[in-house]
Formats: sequence, C-alpha cells, structure tokens
Amino acid sequence: MKHGAFAILPLASGAALYGFAFGLLAAQVGFPWWGVGLMSAAVHAGSSQIVAVEQFANTSAVLGAALAGAALNLRYIGIVASLSEVLDGLSWRIKLLAIHITGDENWALTMSERARSRDIGPSFLIGSGLVMISVWTVSTTAGAFAGAVLPDLERFGLGFAFTAAFIAMARGLWRGRSSALPWIVAFGVAIVVVQLGAPKAYAVVGGALSGLLASHTIRRTGKVAA
Amino acid sequence: MTSDHWILIAILAIAAFSIRVVGLLAGDKIRASRHAWMLDEIPGLIVVSLIAASLAGQPLTTWVAAAIALCVAHLSHHVIATMVVGVFAYASLSWLAL
Repeated sequence: MKHGAFAILPLASGAALYGFAFGLLAAQVGFPWWGVGLMSAAVHAGSSQIVAVEQFANTSAVLGAALAGAALNLRYIGIVASLSEVLDGLSWRIKLLAIHITGDENWALTMSERARSRDIGPSFLIGSGLVMISVWTVSTTAGAFAGAVLPDLERFGLGFAFTAAFIAMARGLWRGRSSALPWIVAFGVAIVVVQLGAPKAYAVVGGALSGLLASHTIRRTGKVAA
Repeated sequence: MTSDHWILIAILAIAAFSIRVVGLLAGDKIRASRHAWMLDEIPGLIVVSLIAASLAGQPLTTWVAAAIALCVAHLSHHVIATMVVGVFAYASLSWLAL
C-alpha cells in the first residue's frame, strides 16, 4: 500500500492545486467550507464536481448541474470494469471502498504500472486512492476557506498538469501498433464532439466508445482475413 | 448552504457511486464473456479521450506544450518528468504568447 501511496504523490500535488482552485470556485457560489469537504469526500470525482458547480453557478438548475456532473462520470463504468482483475478475490466491502477512492489519476497510474509489473495489485490501487481522496478533500476544503480571490492559476500551467500526466499515462498504456487506429479514432471523435459544443463528458464517452468500435472492427476484419 | 446545495451534493454522490458499482458488476460479466478484450482496450481509449477533450479548442501553445510532453513521455516513460517539463513548457509558451 505504501508503494502506491508514495508513487501517487506527484499527481496528488497537481490535484491539490486543482482542488484548491475548485474550492475557491465552490465557495464563490455559496458552498461553505464544510459543504465543499463533504462533497469532495462523498463524490470524489474532481472533474465531475467542477462541471456540476460551474453549471450550478451559471444556470442555478440543480438537476441539470447534477446530470452534467454525473455524465462526466460515465467513464467510470469503463474504469471500474477494467479493474475487475485487480479487485478479484477481495471482499465486497473492500471492493466498494476501492471503487469509491478510485479516481482518474490513481487508476491510470495503477494500470500503467501493472502493465509493466504484475506485482502491482489492489494494495497499490487502495494506497494511491486513499492519498488521492485525502488530498482532494483537504485541498478543496482549504480552497473554500481561502474563498474570495480566485487567482489566474491557469497562467501558471495548473490545468495543463493533468493533460501532461494523462499523456505520460497513455505512453504506459500503449500496446503497440494495434492501439494506433483505435486511439486515433478515439482522439478524433473526442475532438469533434467538443468542437460541436457538447460537454467534455460526452467527448470522453464518445471517444472511448468509438475507439472500442474501431478496435472491434479491426479484430473482426483480422479474423475474416485469417 | 441551501437545500439546492444539499440536493446537488446528494445526487452527485449517489450518481458517482452508482456508476462505479455498475462498472464493478459489469466488469465481472464482461470478464466471463467473449467481450473480455474490451477490458484491455478501455483504459488507453479513455486516457486518449481525456487528453483530446482537454486539448480541443485550446490555442496552439497548448498543443505545442502537449507535443513536448509527448516527446518527454516517449523518451523517459516517466510521469513526473512529463508533468514538470509539460507544465514548464505550457507556462513558458503562454508567457511568450502574451
């Protein structure tokens, strides 16, 4: 568990900055510090929370904001599904804990490390997840405490830290040439969906599903050819 | 905190956990089916889609920073190095573009 907890620290530091900025935003639309902390601990889905709070601030439509945030989380069906081998053999209580503390960063790091070593398992996932949910909850609460002034953190590359991290993780998940076409399709579809004005949540879901379809087509074509 | 805030947190929390449980249940079924190959494909596809969604509509400087990060990731296989160089490149390019 310690291995995962230490390995996730660089990503957790990026999440802390992002969480702090989210806390500031949430405080500005009326969330008290303890409400922000409660949301972060109960939801534990950074991008989902950010989308929901932004939508709530702009439209005041609770259901719409919640659905927009939830839609961003649809990708967790695939993320958690991909963990079934990692979680195999654990009790249901531990499984439910593990999936709640699983976020983009510790999931991707776990899968990336597991691709290199099969020794990486549930203890790595849980150790890194406990650090992530703790850092996320504390940093968002601290941001809400700070409250009023929202600095232009984007200028200092804060938002890009996640993009860079995902790029590094993608490198670890690369499976060779067979990944190329599905990845290109997923990337292209996600770009087009965002350009059409749809929420990024749909772009992620649409991109992944399109890539799966491309991969399925390649597999079928290969079987027919064989 | 108003009732709207409470409702928003409650719906988000229930939705987030429900989606994860669906993934947990679906994952076991998929593993036993002929669609098990999807479990290998999904992680990379989601990460690539996350990258694309974060880059879509961004200025050229962001794409250049992403290309630099990709080079570092390709050469180093290192998350920390990629993040540090990527963020530094992004901040530098953004500053130069001002």
